[in-house]
Amino acid sequence: MFHMGWFLSTGFGVYDWKGPWSGNIRADIGNPELFLETAAALERAGFDYMMLEDSSVLPDIYQGSYAHSLKNAVVRYDPLPLVSLIARHTEHIGVIATMATSFYPPFLAARLMSSLDHLTHGRVGVNLVTASPHAAAQNYGLDEHIEHDLRYAMADEWMQVVSRLWESWEPDALGTDENRTVYVDHTRVHPIHYEGRFHRSRGPLNTLPGPQRRPVVCQAGGSPAGRELAAEHADTIVSAVVGVEAMRAYREDISARMVAHGRDPHDVKVLFLVDPILAESNAEAQAIAQRRREAAASDVEGALAGMSYVSGLDFSQFDLDAPFPEVLSRTNGHQSTVADYQKAGEDKTLREVALTRSVKDSIPLVGTPASVADQMAEAMEYAGGDGFLIASAVTRRNVSAIADGLAPELRRRDLIRSSYDYGTFRENLLSF
Amino acid sequence: MFHLGWFLTTGFGVYGWNQPWSGNVAADVGRPELFVDTARALERAGFDYMMFEDSSVLPDIYQGTFESSVSAGQAVRMDPLPLMPLVAQATKKIGLIATVATTFYPPFLAARLYQTLDHLTQGRIGVNIVTASPHKAAQNYGLEKHIDHDKRYEMADEWMQAVTALWNTWEKGALQLDTETGVFADHTKIKPANFEGEFYRTRGPLNLPPGPQHRPVVCQAGGSPAGRDLGAAHADTIVSAVVGAEAMKAYRDDISQRMIDHGRKPDDVKVLYLVSPIIAETDAEAKEKQAQMRAAQAANISGNLAAMSYFTSMDFSKFDLDAPMPDLSGNNGHQSTMADFAKSGRTLREIAANHRTVESVELVGSPATIADQMEEVMDYAGGDGFLIAAPVTRKNVTEIADGLAPVLRRRGLIRSDYTHNTFRENLLEF
Amino acid sequence: MFHMGWFLSYTVQNWRDPWNGNGSDLWIEPELYIEAAKALERAGFDYMMFEDGSFIPDAFRGSMEYALSNASIAPKHDPLTLIAPIARETERIGLIATVTTSFYPPFLAARLASTLDTLSGGRFGINLVTAHNDRTAQNFGLEQHHEHDLRYEMADEWVRAATALWDGWERDALTLDEANGVFASADKVHYANFEGTYYRTRGPLNLPPSPQLRPVLCQAGGSQAGMTFGARHADTIIAQAGDVPTMKKFRETVRELAQEAGRDPDSVKILFLASFVLEDSDRAAQEKDAQMRAASEANIEANLAMLSFSSGIDFGKFDLDAPVPEIETNAARATTAHHLRNSEGRTLREIVSTRSTGAFNFVGSVPTVADQMSEVAAEVGGDGFLVQAPIIPRTVHRIADGLAPELRRRGLIRADYDYHTLRENLLAF
Repeated sequence: MFHMGWFLSTGFGVYDWKGPWSGNIRADIGNPELFLETAAALERAGFDYMMLEDSSVLPDIYQGSYAHSLKNAVVRYDPLPLVSLIARHTEHIGVIATMATSFYPPFLAARLMSSLDHLTHGRVGVNLVTASPHAAAQNYGLDEHIEHDLRYAMADEWMQVVSRLWESWEPDALGTDENRTVYVDHTRVHPIHYEGRFHRSRGPLNTLPGPQRRPVVCQAGGSPAGRELAAEHADTIVSAVVGVEAMRAYREDISARMVAHGRDPHDVKVLFLVDPILAESNAEAQAIAQRRREAAASDVEGALAGMSYVSGLDFSQFDLDAPFPEVLSRTNGHQSTVADYQKAGEDKTLREVALTRSVKDSIPLVGTPASVADQMAEAMEYAGGDGFLIASAVTRRNVSAIADGLAPELRRRDLIRSSYDYGTFRENLLSF
Repeated sequence: MFHLGWFLTTGFGVYGWNQPWSGNVAADVGRPELFVDTARALERAGFDYMMFEDSSVLPDIYQGTFESSVSAGQAVRMDPLPLMPLVAQATKKIGLIATVATTFYPPFLAARLYQTLDHLTQGRIGVNIVTASPHKAAQNYGLEKHIDHDKRYEMADEWMQAVTALWNTWEKGALQLDTETGVFADHTKIKPANFEGEFYRTRGPLNLPPGPQHRPVVCQAGGSPAGRDLGAAHADTIVSAVVGAEAMKAYRDDISQRMIDHGRKPDDVKVLYLVSPIIAETDAEAKEKQAQMRAAQAANISGNLAAMSYFTSMDFSKFDLDAPMPDLSGNNGHQSTMADFAKSGRTLREIAANHRTVESVELVGSPATIADQMEEVMDYAGGDGFLIAAPVTRKNVTEIADGLAPVLRRRGLIRSDYTHNTFRENLLEF
Repeated sequence: MFHMGWFLSYTVQNWRDPWNGNGSDLWIEPELYIEAAKALERAGFDYMMFEDGSFIPDAFRGSMEYALSNASIAPKHDPLTLIAPIARETERIGLIATVTTSFYPPFLAARLASTLDTLSGGRFGINLVTAHNDRTAQNFGLEQHHEHDLRYEMADEWVRAATALWDGWERDALTLDEANGVFASADKVHYANFEGTYYRTRGPLNLPPSPQLRPVLCQAGGSQAGMTFGARHADTIIAQAGDVPTMKKFRETVRELAQEAGRDPDSVKILFLASFVLEDSDRAAQEKDAQMRAASEANIEANLAMLSFSSGIDFGKFDLDAPVPEIETNAARATTAHHLRNSEGRTLREIVSTRSTGAFNFVGSVPTVADQMSEVAAEVGGDGFLVQAPIIPRTVHRIADGLAPELRRRGLIRADYDYHTLRENLLAF
């Protein structure tokens, strides 16, 4: 069996705003209903989790302005309130919200997550990002963002502080004596006195430990520093490597790093990003895939804007029909993604790269639910684990196609769970 | 502008069992979630109502067994009435109609129940009155066989009068809620109904105050003359399955005339026509889908015969498939449908192979194309809207609510917002 | 008419109260707060205000024992996590949660607040505190907390930074032009480019504007710096003043300060903390009140703990039967001062044996209390009362279904909400 998740690629944002099946999108802006319905649907389908990506930036690199972002609804509400709401609307599925370690004071984050662990009855997770654009740092008062590797060193320390805070109350600190004369046994609650290079915190937390004690930790990092951070702290990793060979290599690399950190490789589940195209016949699915390729091919602007965002460089300044520029050394952004662009750019023009890059899929999945289920089984068999993250736009139609079309096929083949065995997120995640 | 509704063909039933896009049906059986989600989606789309059909029979006419009723959950139905408050709780404006068989439901029981629902839905409940067709239905209630067609309609008319009399036993203003005088309700404004008819008698009064609508919306579907007359006399909305724009126009005109004969204004009834749109991103894709669906239906002879058996209470497995269709126009079932069959002169097999879900007009294409088709037909027919009769699966619902409806809205063909808070007010707004 | 609110914490709701039922364990679940919110909405309350803090008191006797054993001040969960669930099940009541400006990055808070304002349909507010304790500061990496007045200087800049962010999207920036494919207009969205001494933020926020554009701002802090800060920025101020002359003076001072800051004094609604002892008859209420008072005054430990909490100083160290020593605190100045007022010539024991809450105490049957409230409101001039009581259903229902209908009948509180947003309802009268 393998695991399933949904990667909400623009978090609590606006999806497919001009798409044919999003006609009521006005009613959905800033409205939690779509996400609550999605959560319920994915729970019916036995998904392990929903992962709410996040960013605090209105991208303004491309063309030096945020006009493109505003035209195309690249907005995001803070995802944390959705966690409380989704919790009340579901019973089993895990919910992961993104926090930028560069900007969230560790005590605030630890306390917030602990509170949410209670509200979700042990189903919350935190996705760690360091944030890449300079604009993010500038929202928080810095001139420009901290250098890539240093950000990861800070993130590592951030995670240490947060982990210690989550452990500052012993498991049986809550008074258990018959007559409850004491609410909490103070001898079981301890300051942490953490002093690091970047962070300090005395502790303890002033919240009761939640059902998981330590919320699930998620991380997505392709760079070596990112992989290290994940191997050390994460319970689940989001990977966007392309092709089954790369998937297999990635899973093995993470396992090796974990062993080096003294962890059991089974304790992390790597999920690979995919964006399936499902239809009632394989031919129809191929036709839709082709239509999408053509649409992407005519949206050069969109591609350039995306590349500008992840690299921090304004791609509108380059000649579209000249060879792909050298960008890797100039970026403080998403290094592994930019490295991919650079590699794809060997012997190609900027236009050619822009039109063919899809940042999302580890493997293409096109066909009927039955044939896509087969494709997934094959890929996962080769990769060695652990599952897939759907990264399709969050529209009701897509959600229904996956939850009511694909998932039952996977279930029929015993590839995904038919029911949840445990009460908390991590337990279900690690159950196979 | 025209109106939209959704006709749930098997009410609080089971839809799309084991079909490609509804793999989680098992989790929804007897659960409200699917219908709550659907109601919310249709409310986003500005629909006037959801109409829950109903029947209390598990048919065993075809081949004399229950197989065709349960092998795919086809004829399974939970009672829709308890579902109404749950759906109402999750929505604010959309109307909810649940079916009641006048032949079997005592008028006082129905009057009180629907008045209660009018409160619980804050003025958004409606009652769809049917007389029920199969003998087995009557037998569930202790009769040998069902009452004759025309007599059923006579009874239904009287039933409606009795129920109306009961709904009127509390005058406007009877409920005072006056904390100054301490009077909850004024007894001088409450009177018995003292209804005495040929088939029904009821004294009344009801023992509860009227809900926001005072009189719940009344819905009716009937193609026969007696059926049309019942609708013209009592209904606020009528469900029609006549085929083709000409027939639609003729039907609307006929209803209008009958209403005038009953001393009512034609505008006070909205006729909605059953359709089952096939939507896709492109016209070509939709046509392809339609072809596939037709092929599948044509191959499903036994399924079609089972449906025909149900409608007519005749076991079609007994007849020679390759002989001409027998004349069953004297049938106690759906008279108008039977008359159409006999007129065609085709064999039973041909009829079965072409048996389709009844729809007034074919709608096949992208949302934009379908919007064109709907606009054209509605213009010609003269009103008043369409009832979507597609199976209730989340995929179908979102394609209509989030794909088609927004296009209709953009063209000003359907409402962008609900102006009023109660069902009838919104229904009669245009 | 006057306004009503409820002041509470996301903590154990008085676990030893006989009417608490399972409250000692159920305080974490949202149901308790949602039910209370619905009841208070029926009663036409303007808002529920969640205070908050991020530390466990350990000044008293140098240990966390008192606080943790008695569930006093701790544990406490982040109230911002409750706002969306409560908002979802209510329609008009305002919801205010505390944010500690000293440690919450303004961009983070501004974005979260805007999101909650959208999710609540324009009913959200933030209560701005600077935190009064070294331990809080130490949780966030400082050796000790910023000096009292400096905290307010920083808070003032914090508000201006957040406001610059909230003002970045014009109300009609969201064009939703599907025909031309334009979600929002770039010419209606602006960078904040805020540069201060303590805070800088470029902006803009990356989400559409919320219904109120700027969330309601609430403030509670009786020191001079606090009052000035509140008068300059707050839509509503929470005040502790146990008697009419103090209340009147406070309100006049704040209104003057508001005017000096260029604001219409009527745009700041001051609600006074109030406690209620409501029984079937005046006599029963007075008896109950006397009992409660006696118990409170006898509980010297609790009172010493409270003093230690507000001041950050271990009052357990001092000789109970000696006069109160001179103390200076960087912590909660006004609260500490309030507790220690009238200390001339009295021993510490005498001070802590006298009930001293900042709340105005209403005691009596419902009609009597309604009379009292009416009189107090008339004398003080406005603007309302904040019930300070743990969320125990019995208490909530006495107020919402017992007292409020009487107040309503007399036209003292609103019969209905005129508006959909918190600020509009606050400013309605």
